[in-house]
Amino acid sequence: MFKLILKMAWKNSFVRPVRTLLVVLMIAISMGMMLGIEGLYDGMSQNMAEKNKRSDSGDISIFAKDYRINKELKFRIQNAAKIEEELQKNPQIRSLVLRLSADGLVSTARKSSFAQARGIDLDDEEAFGKFSEFLEEGELLLGDKNAIIGIELAKTLKVNVGSKVVFSTQDSSGEINSIALKISAIVQTSNIILDNNALFIDKKKMFAFLGVDAKDATQIAIASDDAKLLNILKTKYPTLDVKSFFELQPMMQMMEDMMVIFNSITFFIIMSVVFVGIFGVMYVSVLDRIREFGIMLAVGMEYKYIRLQIYFEAIFVGLIGFFSGSLLGLLLLIYLRDYGLDFSAFADALQSWGYETIIYGTIKLSYFTTTFLAIMSASVLSVIIPLRKIKNLNPIEVIKAEK
Amino acid sequence: MIRLQNVNKYFYKDEPREVHALVDINLIIEDGEFTLFSGPSGCGKTTLLNAIGALDTIDSGKIFLDELEISLLNEKERTRIRLNKMGFVFQAYNLVPVLSVEENIGFIMKLQGFSDAQIKERVQEVASLLKIDNKLQSLPNTLSGGQQQRVAVARAVASKPKIILADEPTANLDSKNSQTLIEMMLELNEKEGISVVFASHDELIKESVRRIVRLEDGMLV
Repeated sequence: MFKLILKMAWKNSFVRPVRTLLVVLMIAISMGMMLGIEGLYDGMSQNMAEKNKRSDSGDISIFAKDYRINKELKFRIQNAAKIEEELQKNPQIRSLVLRLSADGLVSTARKSSFAQARGIDLDDEEAFGKFSEFLEEGELLLGDKNAIIGIELAKTLKVNVGSKVVFSTQDSSGEINSIALKISAIVQTSNIILDNNALFIDKKKMFAFLGVDAKDATQIAIASDDAKLLNILKTKYPTLDVKSFFELQPMMQMMEDMMVIFNSITFFIIMSVVFVGIFGVMYVSVLDRIREFGIMLAVGMEYKYIRLQIYFEAIFVGLIGFFSGSLLGLLLLIYLRDYGLDFSAFADALQSWGYETIIYGTIKLSYFTTTFLAIMSASVLSVIIPLRKIKNLNPIEVIKAEK
Repeated sequence: MIRLQNVNKYFYKDEPREVHALVDINLIIEDGEFTLFSGPSGCGKTTLLNAIGALDTIDSGKIFLDELEISLLNEKERTRIRLNKMGFVFQAYNLVPVLSVEENIGFIMKLQGFSDAQIKERVQEVASLLKIDNKLQSLPNTLSGGQQQRVAVARAVASKPKIILADEPTANLDSKNSQTLIEMMLELNEKEGISVVFASHDELIKESVRRIVRLEDGMLV
């Protein structure tokens, strides 16, 4: 019986092929577009998060207690090299990098600005976050007198590659010290803070300039995919400030939350479109076949079989819509992943928020599973009213009506 | 055997437009009978047929199918009785358009839970009797009116019901097809021993049946 009902449902789904096709198209196009937007939005925030991790915090960062509030050298991690040694033994850690930073003033002959000098080792940064990919202009050189500058800071100071700047800050003994530097490169990390303020200086030079022991650091950034690592490190280093990426970047957390809201909205939009589409088709289809159902009831078919048939019909239309929409959405997402979408017209606005001008999409299985659930729920819900019409059907009325 | 005792049926009961559609009907239809309910339009033929077929309820009286009082059954039980004991033939054929002739004929048997092999064998047998065995794979809309009505008869007969209730089965057929259908139903009645009750104006049926039950204003005359 089940097989026969399936067969009837399948064939009835295409009794009016144009009508069914229109609903399938409606579902497919709305779903395809939604998947594209979802992937693009997700890609945008993921790309931003990934660049923030690579250029700065990693998945976890360790600071000395109070450093993040006071940003003073006295709140640095003493003997960070020993901690580095311990962390390197942990197989859950992909890579890590030690940095020494100091806030100060960078100036040219005409302009000055707040800046954060970040003592880095280019090889370590390359291994940690492919630093060379951030290069916009010049050559990545950190010799004795070289510095790499963030793109927005360079604009503020109106400096180019080859320009000279002076960075002044308080050293570890409390004295104001200055260092003259030549800009060797301009980088764009898409990390707003770094792009606006960072001046990358050779780490060894930074130790000497600030009078800090070469074993110390202000930040240890760790790259790891292990979700449990944060708590392990928090327990292991209770005197230090161990923070996750999202704790350090609350805006990214907000973007993730926005993504959840966005996905929920997408879910309901798709569900509404499918609901309206299938409801329309099924309602008209049931009205068209009301005599058929009445006769089925008259000859002894139980209502539960008719209900099953109607559910299957709605699910078939929903499924075809889902698969067509998945195909369309997948093609769109592949295009967005490989070629991205060029928003150069809004470059200034996007860059000021840390976004790139070409935004690439991401593809996640969850886009499809969520949409599948939305479509199936809508399919099932959309036939409730048409089914009520059949349930209230009096076979006698149908038989009378045919005369 | 079907037995009706003092059956009364009203439409729009307790309203000014109340109609007493069946008035104290007492009737016995023996097994294997070939009966016609005859009378002018609105006399209550279809109402009586529907009451016997457990499609409609009555307001008073009793209807028995053998020893079972079907007038006492609830909706679900009446559905089951219709499925297992009765066959219906309607004026407008009412075949399932998306199913082949073979599937339409076997439809009731499928609902009753017969195996595919049993259904196939019985469908072949009935289709041969009704001379539609060469149309088994066709869809109903590719058949003529006469052929569609034969499929409807085959569907009603296939499950070997106790009684077939046919409401104006020849109304949409020309005289030749009507004659053929009546002859085939007579043959089925003889071969299968199934009781057949018609509600019809058709003179052809009047000439063919062995018993005519006349109704006027809801009363047997």
